[in-house]
Amino acid sequence: MKASCLAEDLRQVVGKDNVLDSGVNLALYGYDAYLEERRPDAVAFVHSTDEVVGVVKACNKWGAPFVARGGGTNLSGGTVPVKGGVVIEMIRMNKVLEVDRANLRARVQPGMFNLEFGSALAPLGYQYLPDPASQKAATLGGNVAENSGGPHCFKYGVTTNHVLGMTVVLPDGEVARLGGKAPDSPGYDLTGVFVGSEGTLGICTEIVAKIVRLPEGVKTLLAIYDSIEEGSETVSAIVAAGMIPATLEMMDQLVIEAVEASIKCGFPLDCATVLIIEVDGLKDDLEQQVQAITDICKKHGAREVRVAKNDAERAALWAGRRGAFGAVARITPSYLVCDGSVPRTELPKILRKVAEVGKKYDLRIPNVFHAGDGNLHPLILFDWRDAEQKARVMKAGMEILELCVQVGGTISGEHGVGIEKMDAMRLCFTEEDIEAQMKVKRAFDPKDLSNPGKIFPVAQEVAHAS
Amino acid sequence: MPADPNSLAQKLSFLVGGEYVLTGSAAARFAVDEVEPALAVRPGSQQEVGSVAAACSAAGASMLPWTDGALIGLGNPPSRLDVVVCLDRLTRIVEFDDANLNVSVEAGVRLDALQAVLGAKQEFLPLDPAQSDQVTVGGLVQTNASGPSRQLYGSLRDWVLGLRVVLPGGERIRCGGKVIKNVSGYDMNKIFIGNLGTLGIVTEATFKLLPAPAMRATVVGVFARLSEVGAVVGRTLESFLLPEALEALDPQALATLGPALGLDGAPGYGLAVSMAGSRETVERQVRDFAALFGEGKALKVETLGAERADVAWRAIRNVQAKLPMGRVIAKIAVPIGKTLDLLSAAEGLMRRHEWRGAITAGAGSGIVRAGIEVGAGSALEPLREALLSLRREAETLDGSLVLEVAPLSLKRSLDTWGKVREGFSVMRRLKAELDPRALLTPGRFLGGI
Repeated sequence: MKASCLAEDLRQVVGKDNVLDSGVNLALYGYDAYLEERRPDAVAFVHSTDEVVGVVKACNKWGAPFVARGGGTNLSGGTVPVKGGVVIEMIRMNKVLEVDRANLRARVQPGMFNLEFGSALAPLGYQYLPDPASQKAATLGGNVAENSGGPHCFKYGVTTNHVLGMTVVLPDGEVARLGGKAPDSPGYDLTGVFVGSEGTLGICTEIVAKIVRLPEGVKTLLAIYDSIEEGSETVSAIVAAGMIPATLEMMDQLVIEAVEASIKCGFPLDCATVLIIEVDGLKDDLEQQVQAITDICKKHGAREVRVAKNDAERAALWAGRRGAFGAVARITPSYLVCDGSVPRTELPKILRKVAEVGKKYDLRIPNVFHAGDGNLHPLILFDWRDAEQKARVMKAGMEILELCVQVGGTISGEHGVGIEKMDAMRLCFTEEDIEAQMKVKRAFDPKDLSNPGKIFPVAQEVAHAS
Repeated sequence: MPADPNSLAQKLSFLVGGEYVLTGSAAARFAVDEVEPALAVRPGSQQEVGSVAAACSAAGASMLPWTDGALIGLGNPPSRLDVVVCLDRLTRIVEFDDANLNVSVEAGVRLDALQAVLGAKQEFLPLDPAQSDQVTVGGLVQTNASGPSRQLYGSLRDWVLGLRVVLPGGERIRCGGKVIKNVSGYDMNKIFIGNLGTLGIVTEATFKLLPAPAMRATVVGVFARLSEVGAVVGRTLESFLLPEALEALDPQALATLGPALGLDGAPGYGLAVSMAGSRETVERQVRDFAALFGEGKALKVETLGAERADVAWRAIRNVQAKLPMGRVIAKIAVPIGKTLDLLSAAEGLMRRHEWRGAITAGAGSGIVRAGIEVGAGSALEPLREALLSLRREAETLDGSLVLEVAPLSLKRSLDTWGKVREGFSVMRRLKAELDPRALLTPGRFLGGI
């Protein structure tokens, strides 16, 4: 393939101002929020499904791989063009096409930021429930690719539960509308398998999303603990009492310090951990729920439980939680975000083990995570300029994932496998399991052009019979 | 069957024990759309299902997983049927992790039996298909069956955390897991939910569960006009209210269900609303709905406590399945806002032809279920025309009409699934990748898959 010929074809499709194919421009589109980078051969900015088709067909013509990119917030290297080719930048396809209240659905383009979509719906009294912490900068298309979660998914489910149809450009350039506003479309649930496929099965160019009314009432609590163990035990106790709060989030002391240094949210600096608990729904029993949760927190050792008195106080708590990843950058040049997911009751044990891993490798590992879901995000702090330290970080990260699998969990709760966890796939799947997944890949993308070099571990060498 | 059935029967007897391999008239009891299998085999474990599949595959024999009789009507007549793989001996509850709100169960466990086990720990699986006393976990997953409470809880795709599946060659794979957030690799659960045994045989499912609500209640009402039902539904969907189920009933369904609903003798359209949750929220919703029904000119309104409500909802869910044999049950799926339009269209056709039956509609979920009695010797052509016109109307709205139950004579001239959709090329390739020799349930699925 000649990169210059490909770029020329791309200019024909999207116009010369919408193609980048040189120097620093390529470097800018070669990395995301993970720790690796590779240069693409070209970047194409697309504005319509037709343009995506044109770009994908040009890639087919030259045998060039392509990867769709939105906000570039991916934490597992999912948007890094490991095999070169074309980065298809979706960020300009960012409109709400329709808010269909009668059918409780909205049609929206994938380049729109998650938070922007929420802001468009709220004045109408509606919401789209998946709310990844990075929602200010993460796009809906990226959410679809990763099957993103967010603090509210404990009660409401993740992206796949709220995306019921989409228009996709398949890897050969064919356009297909999958699912839609009507439920239970006959045939296999291609929408369901496309969500979370990390851009490897084609490119989503339009989303049919479920929208629901904003809740009648919301109450947000902050429970403060002197021991992280007590905090994580509280999480299971609340669920055991038969309650499903909208969120059950946890942050430890190091993260709180970083957050307070960056945005003043009023978190106490001298505690071991805080839980942010939110209940929502019909207003009639919210007070009772708050009281019951407060009692459980106190019974499990909370030294103080604060209830947000108004929207401003509630917003401050959430600004702190949503700003956590960003704030941690104040205390470290770089960090690896782990994303293991475990049965909720294993949290106290896994947190102890994570601390042991930190000691073993002499690394600082603060924690911020979706406790209700059992989805933990240990942040392993390091300095990227120190190669020896980075090697230790990678080992520690892998060890944490192994621990998660050992207690019945998995290697990724919401950040995806990407390039980061390809080898870790073998921790939770057999060769047969992985082969079945590769069959799905081949059914969608027989030429392996759509975001190749992701998810699947490198094939193990077959032992030759001598 | 390409290979000699006797030698395959011997092989299978060796694998699962002779008493679990049925031939002749014993196998014929497992006929599907009047196609009789040469053999029926009842493996005793998931591992045995794998061995059976491997043996059948090696012999070039086609297989059809039999989950339960209740759901076997779904699908076109099989193009080939050599071996029925009956999953009725897979009845283990593998793990009930009540502290983490999940359960892993084998395919042969009946839904009501599972709910009883979960209920003992104050938990439940929020799926309520028709005939839950007969439907098994395997049948549920293979057919993607749902019921009225999908209004609040969604459908199987929202509750399956993991599956164990036997592929046509006998490989046993695991999809997903038991944690509630899981993006490790593709979400393989999705392609097997509703695959009707065409991609793999589901042998075990892990479900996410919910704590049982502290209280349940139901409000039912009778309305003179469907437009009045529509107005109440419209106001409900625009409100903060969160009903668990919101089911509209046509006059025939209402007449049949009257005694169970405590609405005996009042003709008209019915609307049944179920509420679940804390005492405070249920009581408030009962008040709000009673008021909404009143303002909506309901002729009669009844409130049912938990026990009567349970009986009422069981009757609503089963109203089509209770029609005499020879019935047609069509599931029509459309965008939520069009649900009552389709109920109206189906009712109009039934009225014009004076067909007996029952129609229910999940007014907030987009599913209309029409059951029509087909008397022996009655002309099928008008029925076929009527179903086609409903299908056209649904497909114009990007929806579908699927025949859940139909006499074979009708199935021969009316496809179960309707038109193939965009993306069908991918579905066909998916089938070819996972079942290259088309040995699993051939011919029953969309587009001849």
